[in-house]
Amino acid sequence: MALIQIEHLDFDYGGQAVLKHIDLTVPDGSTVGVIGPNGGGKTTLMKLLLGLIEPTRGSILIDGVRPREATQRGDVVGYLPQNPRVPGHFPMNVRQVVRLGLVGKTGMLRAFKRGDTDFADHLIERVGLVDLAETPVGSLSGGQLQRVFIARALAARPKVLLLDEPTTGIDASGQQRFVEFLEELKKELGLTVVLVSHDLRSVAAVADRIACLNVTLHYHDVPERMPRELAASMFGCDLEAMGISRGHACGDPGCCEHVDHGAVVFTPVTGRVIR
Amino acid sequence: MQAGGCVLGMVSLSALLTAASLGVACAILSVFVVMRRWAFIGEGISHSGLGGAGMAWVLALLFPAFDQAWAPYALAAVCCVVTAVGIGFFSRTGKLNADAAIGIFLVATVAWGFLAEGIYMQVRHHQPYQWESILLGRFGDVSASYALASAAVCGLVVFMVGMLGKEILSYCFDPVSAEVSGVRAGLVHYLLMVLIALTVVIGVRVVGSLLVTALLVLPGVTGMMVTLKLRGVFSVAVMTGLVGTVGGLLIHGTWLFLPPGPVIVLVMLGVFLVAWIMHRVRGT
Repeated sequence: MALIQIEHLDFDYGGQAVLKHIDLTVPDGSTVGVIGPNGGGKTTLMKLLLGLIEPTRGSILIDGVRPREATQRGDVVGYLPQNPRVPGHFPMNVRQVVRLGLVGKTGMLRAFKRGDTDFADHLIERVGLVDLAETPVGSLSGGQLQRVFIARALAARPKVLLLDEPTTGIDASGQQRFVEFLEELKKELGLTVVLVSHDLRSVAAVADRIACLNVTLHYHDVPERMPRELAASMFGCDLEAMGISRGHACGDPGCCEHVDHGAVVFTPVTGRVIR
Repeated sequence: MQAGGCVLGMVSLSALLTAASLGVACAILSVFVVMRRWAFIGEGISHSGLGGAGMAWVLALLFPAFDQAWAPYALAAVCCVVTAVGIGFFSRTGKLNADAAIGIFLVATVAWGFLAEGIYMQVRHHQPYQWESILLGRFGDVSASYALASAAVCGLVVFMVGMLGKEILSYCFDPVSAEVSGVRAGLVHYLLMVLIALTVVIGVRVVGSLLVTALLVLPGVTGMMVTLKLRGVFSVAVMTGLVGTVGGLLIHGTWLFLPPGPVIVLVMLGVFLVAWIMHRVRGT
């Protein structure tokens, strides 16, 4: 069953096409990575999925309703913003911030339910911040803050988790931990995940389907192998800018034994990308 | 004791009630203003009071009914609320950069206020009603009804923050994430704007349009200087607000030649400096 269905989507801004002819289906329980160069429309697609802007033409359905209605329900969409930052003096601790994820689901003039706050506390434990639960969020590191924001995004037990450039500003070891952590959470909570990034490595490491966006969605079913020229034309930019250094985006040293020169090979089961 | 009767020498109960209401309302809102970095918005809304008063002064030349003491305050209040909603609209929709929108409203209303004062002076050969008090505030003739209106606005602020506290905090922490997690961010945004505008309206009467912004910043900043626990921040902010407004009023009541607005702001600044020094000492 498709949890997100995008059909014939166009988005124009100032008379210029930002997105054209987008069709994308995200099955329930899958992880779809959207990659593409800067200016390719990734952020616009994320805003459309969040219901912050309306498409010029076409439709988006999340769990059978338009994005605006889905977000207003409070327990359909979880969102991790790009490079979350908090001023150092912000007077809220980790527990309070994670519970903010329950506000929309709970509704106005109502107190949080005990079961929901217990789940939020469980998430704090799950993201490894139980010792910092009473610590002001402004004093956390970038990686810790990202885990707080993930816990907040998941507090309302959403069906879909939307991640906007989740590995930006995180070092290599932090990215690896993030990938493992996301995999675990996905299995535990049965999430459907959509992440947008310009970093092919991080997307390939977690996604079981990859969508390549550069104004038009060039491709969205992961092939076993793809000619290097086609990959370059899909991304519309230098492959190294997409995280493929010397045609290689895999962190596993043993995976390159089957390299087929001249092609970018996606192995969707493990989520690796090799050349 | 009557509402307008004198206590503590020259200070009336009405003035005390107004000062306390202003102190509490401003202190609570100042925490959100500092969280959202809205100090400049408060500046824009408060200065628009001068534009509203200017409208009253020009209308007074055309229609004698407006040549009354109440008219500048009434139109200043309307202008503050309209400006707040206008700034809120531009800052939320992104149709115009928020800073630019505030700058335009601010200079337009201040320019109009000074222009109207000049026209009034030219025609009537004396300063218009409330010219000085709109600029720097006045406590001397605060009426019982004004004090009750101030208490009502303070009560409204406390009530709304009590009822929608989690939504307001969610919005102040991260407006976009709040909106996409089901919080009615638009409602919260405009609610805060209107509450700030109503509080500014009280403050313009007491502290003046030039200085009322300080009351929407100093208590919150002081609270965050002392502690980063949410309840603690609100408690310290309210105490700072009360010390500033009530303390300033008592100083003004003792030495009447000192204008109330600057005294209140300087007392609050003194509290902030003490908190800042404590913060520095504790930090080292």
